[in-house]
Amino acid sequence: MQITYRCPYIFLISRVEQIRTRMKLLLTIGILLITLSGLAQSEPSNGLKESTPAYYALKNATIYVSPNQKISNGTLLIKNDNIESIGMSGLVIIPKEAVVIDCKGKVILPAFIELNSNVGIAKAVAPKTKKRDGAFYWNHAIHPEYVASETYVFNDKASTTLIEKGFGFALTHQKDGIARGEGAFVSLGAGIESYLSSLTTSSFFSFQKGVSIQRYPSSQMGSIALLRQTFYDAHWYKSNQDNLNLSLAAINEQLNSPMFLETRDKLEVLRAQKIGDEFEIKFNFLGSGNEYEIIDQLAMTKPMVVLPLNFPAAYDVKNPYVARQIPLSDLKHWEMAPMNASILVNRDVPICLSGNGVKTKDFWTNLRKCIESGLTPEQALDALTMSPAKLLGVDDKLGSLAKGKLASFIIYDANPLDTKAQILESWLLGKRKVHNPSPAKTTLIGKYNISFSGKKYPIEIKEKGKKYSGEVTYRHMKKGASVDTTVNLFIDYANNDITLQFNIRNEDLNGSVSLRGKVISRMGIFEGEGLLPNGDWVQWTGIRSKKGKATKEKVKHLSVGDTTSQTWYPNLAYGFKSLPEQESVIIKNATLWTNEESGVIEDAHIIIKEGKIIFVGRGNYPTPLGARVIDARGKHVTAGIIDEHSHIAISKGVNEGGQAVSAEVSIGHVVNQKDINIYRQLSGGVTASQLLHGSANPIGGQSALIKLKWGFTAEEMLIEGADPFIKFALGENVKHSRWTSSTRFPHTRMGVEQVFYEAFNRATAYAKEWKDFKDGVISVEPRKDLELEVLNEIMASEHFITCHSYVQSEINMLMHVADSLGFKINTFTHILEGYKLADKMVEHGVGGSTFSDWWAYKHEVNDAIPYNAAIMNEQGVVVAINSDDTEMGRRLNQEAAKAVKYGGMSEEDALKMVTLNPAKLLHLDDRMGSLKVGKDADVVVWSDHPLSILAKVEQTIIDGIVMYDIERDREMRRRNQAEKARIISMMLDDNNSGGKKRTFFKKKMGHFHCDTIGEEESTEENHH
Amino acid sequence: MESALIGIEDGKITLIKNSLAFSYEPTEWDTIIQLNGKQIYPGFIAPNSTLGITEIDAVKATRDYDELGTYNPHIRSQIAFNVESKVISTVRTNGVLITQATPRGGTISGTSSIMKLDGWNWEDATISKDDGIHLNWPSSIEGGGWWAEPAPKKTNKKYTEQVQKIKTFFDMAKAYASDGKVEEVDGRLEAMRECFNGKKRVFFHANELQQLQDIIEFSATYKIKFPVIVGGYDSHLITRKLSDAKIPVMLKRLHSLPSNESDDVDLPYKLPALLQAGNVQFCIQNAGGMEAMNARNIPFLAGTAMAYGLTEEQAIRSVSLSSCEILGIDKMYGSLEVGKSATLFVSDGNALDMRTNNLALGMIDGIFMSLDNMQRDLYEKYSKKYEK
Repeated sequence: MQITYRCPYIFLISRVEQIRTRMKLLLTIGILLITLSGLAQSEPSNGLKESTPAYYALKNATIYVSPNQKISNGTLLIKNDNIESIGMSGLVIIPKEAVVIDCKGKVILPAFIELNSNVGIAKAVAPKTKKRDGAFYWNHAIHPEYVASETYVFNDKASTTLIEKGFGFALTHQKDGIARGEGAFVSLGAGIESYLSSLTTSSFFSFQKGVSIQRYPSSQMGSIALLRQTFYDAHWYKSNQDNLNLSLAAINEQLNSPMFLETRDKLEVLRAQKIGDEFEIKFNFLGSGNEYEIIDQLAMTKPMVVLPLNFPAAYDVKNPYVARQIPLSDLKHWEMAPMNASILVNRDVPICLSGNGVKTKDFWTNLRKCIESGLTPEQALDALTMSPAKLLGVDDKLGSLAKGKLASFIIYDANPLDTKAQILESWLLGKRKVHNPSPAKTTLIGKYNISFSGKKYPIEIKEKGKKYSGEVTYRHMKKGASVDTTVNLFIDYANNDITLQFNIRNEDLNGSVSLRGKVISRMGIFEGEGLLPNGDWVQWTGIRSKKGKATKEKVKHLSVGDTTSQTWYPNLAYGFKSLPEQESVIIKNATLWTNEESGVIEDAHIIIKEGKIIFVGRGNYPTPLGARVIDARGKHVTAGIIDEHSHIAISKGVNEGGQAVSAEVSIGHVVNQKDINIYRQLSGGVTASQLLHGSANPIGGQSALIKLKWGFTAEEMLIEGADPFIKFALGENVKHSRWTSSTRFPHTRMGVEQVFYEAFNRATAYAKEWKDFKDGVISVEPRKDLELEVLNEIMASEHFITCHSYVQSEINMLMHVADSLGFKINTFTHILEGYKLADKMVEHGVGGSTFSDWWAYKHEVNDAIPYNAAIMNEQGVVVAINSDDTEMGRRLNQEAAKAVKYGGMSEEDALKMVTLNPAKLLHLDDRMGSLKVGKDADVVVWSDHPLSILAKVEQTIIDGIVMYDIERDREMRRRNQAEKARIISMMLDDNNSGGKKRTFFKKKMGHFHCDTIGEEESTEENHH
Repeated sequence: MESALIGIEDGKITLIKNSLAFSYEPTEWDTIIQLNGKQIYPGFIAPNSTLGITEIDAVKATRDYDELGTYNPHIRSQIAFNVESKVISTVRTNGVLITQATPRGGTISGTSSIMKLDGWNWEDATISKDDGIHLNWPSSIEGGGWWAEPAPKKTNKKYTEQVQKIKTFFDMAKAYASDGKVEEVDGRLEAMRECFNGKKRVFFHANELQQLQDIIEFSATYKIKFPVIVGGYDSHLITRKLSDAKIPVMLKRLHSLPSNESDDVDLPYKLPALLQAGNVQFCIQNAGGMEAMNARNIPFLAGTAMAYGLTEEQAIRSVSLSSCEILGIDKMYGSLEVGKSATLFVSDGNALDMRTNNLALGMIDGIFMSLDNMQRDLYEKYSKKYEK
């Protein structure tokens, strides 16, 4: 037996070579490897060798040789684990010693290959200590040195479940951590001889921290930064191997074979691709199922995506109170999920299909749903066989049924891509396993007469879902007349034995009749023995009087044209069917709040062309061809509102609070274009926002400066060429004042100061090391450190600080720190005691971005006063009013107006605090913040004086694109309702036809606050 | 009324006339104040608020509104009300002169009292002692894990069970109340007694359609004389039912986000107009994050309601007379009428617009209140710093 499997044996040699390299690294691991992958096969047989025939011939089958080749009546000749021959029945010569199996009516498909599995791999166990010992990477989430084959244990139950989904092979890996390690490619057939762990190597990654008990990373942007730093470290390690690091060595090894990254959302694909570009890595993706939403981006780069088939079940929508609360985005995804595969394939994005996370029954139903939704059966089969085989480089052995390939296939009673089918046998590496008995060739459906004890009883046999049921009719006397009664008949039919049972109550018999016998199906005859209620043992027969016909469900094929148009940009309420385009716009007869020397001009016009303002003023104005004309008589026009402090549109964590210093992380990596609050804020006239890192640590993360281009991608929203900003924080949040227990330094404002000095000292030392290297003073290239690079950029005034701050002592402190290190703080945000030291702020040259009137929410805002903005402004500080609040972000004009009340600021100055001043603080005032020729066409049309409580936004224009329009908004509301109704009625059909359904429960509406820790939005109160 | 004249004696309004048409005898009055062009409003109300029973949100020691326990009708806010709260002094200066100090938490949070925002102690600040109990109606659809990892649950089943618990409590309370003199006094049930005879209101805190329907039914079943819905986000869907049942709504904070993704972006803003059109009695309140300090923005919530469909008078009413009617203090408060308490303020301009809400004076029960607060003190102090 041990040398029967020629091919795997060869692969195993290559495996052993690899093992040797590893043994050099760590002996203990090497020993484990040998036991598992190689030597176990040499164990001598106990007793005589198992008898196996040399040849099998499977004839008369429908064989899918490959996705595009089908033999309707074919024969497959197998020798040991190899396909010896394949072809039309009659053309394949069957050797005499072959065991012949007649597969008439059956369908043979190549065994599928599962790329996303953890079969046979134990769940990861949380490390006991935070500190990581040994020659490994410091972070527990980075364990690329993990090798799945070292811990793989054959799991019959889990493997069988996969086989029932048609899979014969799986690439299995441990689903834990960010760098997860190497996968093992295994055969799912029972028996140690079928391990295939050396056929291919591959590695796995994700943005999930996993079971690590270390605090870092606590957000997705932290995971991204950590993964980037790891790749930089691995690169550095190539030429600096004095200190052994098994993790970095493993990463370097993995760069040359397929790398998979597991995603939980389509945006993670784009985020990972950005990392891929940085390091010239082409990731393959374990997809999440909503990739169709980014099809335009995917079509450009065409990464391999392994798609799940775990489509959302329909909601139970019978209760209208509940149905009306289901988010439109959920409904739309329910409709679109089955189309995901075909949408990708039709844009030439390569895919594989996976059975991960889906029950067997749903796997097959959903696979056929994909085919109903536009994927051809050939494409589906390719995605399950040849596509993964090619990706892994095993297509010479697996993925199709051809001479010389490994004999690995599944026999079904019907084509499972076409109709509900049952798995009859699996053949993996030539090893046969019978899963279900072959079904009877003919159906029992029909009408029969059964007779025993000289009496006849008509019965009818029906079939429902592979199970038989029936009815029997007998006569009895009622009020002197003979009447017929029909009762249920229990039927069991297996292996040509039929059992019938029914209850009867008449003059002859009173009780249960049980009959069992053989079936002569060709003639429709049953015969056997049975037991009557009176204890008599009788002979019985059944003769068919009318033959019935089985009905088979067939899939309907929809054209793709029907399906692609349902995705909106973005795919939720208020999304666009097609993206609005840049227009030329003439806004005439308006009151213009220019924020320039000309001040407020009445009866004036503003003209927009190619995304820029080309005219502002009165009198004659240019009229670009085809311009949209807005007659704004009685209305007001201002520059777009800019929110200096916002936390909308962020995925998976606003704080990387795991460390006191996290300059390496960036909100720019995790912008979420699909946040409904983008649209809501457009309705409040916001055109640009600084998406800030939270305030959980003294040196937080980098900001994202975006324009609120609803429907566009995160990349397109980021403001091109904007200066980089980073969040710092002081006070109660960073010293964890409200935590009942915290062990992270610092706990006092005194400690906060030292965090800054320590960090900048490290950065200075780092810069010196690089300088020394460049000057040739030292020969070893220093390790690139993403965190310290940013701190050096700050010191070089290339990266700018927005600092969360409240009380004057700490504000003063940070200005001293900056002065002593030779740089400036750009902006203090919150800055509620700014009024106490406005003179010092002017001297330092720092701006202030504050709240209009908030206070009393925490101890450090005791001295907050609503006159703060007015005093700072009066003293010459550049002052902005920000939201830091998803709701308030859409009425910043009202917040600005409060400065007129508190402190008597002029209306023009008040408006500047939400337009021009934040633009200045963000170094964007050369492009935004005022109505000036040449600036970006980011303007808002208001129904009234923009500071009036009555003012409503009528249009919000960004880069000349009308992003919000009050009229269009009305249409969208109607369209939202119509779309909901349309999909809910589809769901109701699905509910009523017995489709799988789930109960709706409402997600709590979370938002990111300054102090939200972790990847999930908070439903707690905001403490800013 | 333009060019109006108001006469005040012994804390009450005794005269309202058109000053152009009516000539008064200057010698009959102690003080005469000329308000050329300024506007007089009745004092605004902050119903359903923790103002006065909390000071700094993040400091537990200053929070006095959330008691342990599930059924706490006997917990009374009145005696915890801090007249000297620094927050209060910043609220009344925007024209908000009365609050309903309201406990939070549990199923029945406790009993609220209606308080003036000026006084020497809680006793003389009280307008209406123990005006009603506050019941948090169980949510009909929320729950089931948390939102990132939702776990399907049979929400209806649990909901019914939770509602049943409330019914059980009310059954018990009603039986207790029907006995005029009980042998063993039960503080909880004693506190419920007046909910059935109409002396106490029952404030049902609820937003969802299912809850609202059930509350209407519940109020009828238990013959609750003065049920009030607090929140009522979905109330615009059943205005007819609410108006037939004569159940008023203290609307969810207007400055909040829509609850559902596809809701109209401005739905919270226009709820007052929708209820007005549906003939449902309503008023504005602002429970939510930082509600104590935010009570000073209640005038601007009314301003927003005006921007989104109410007339100016309706908008003012929604934070004054309507609130008082719903709270049962409209005989004395909520409007400027002869015979009512002189609880009013004078603003330089429109008090519902933040630019013009500037108090020239304010009085509660005819007593001038201080327009100073520590924020203004700091403003003046630091303004002087920069004058040098």
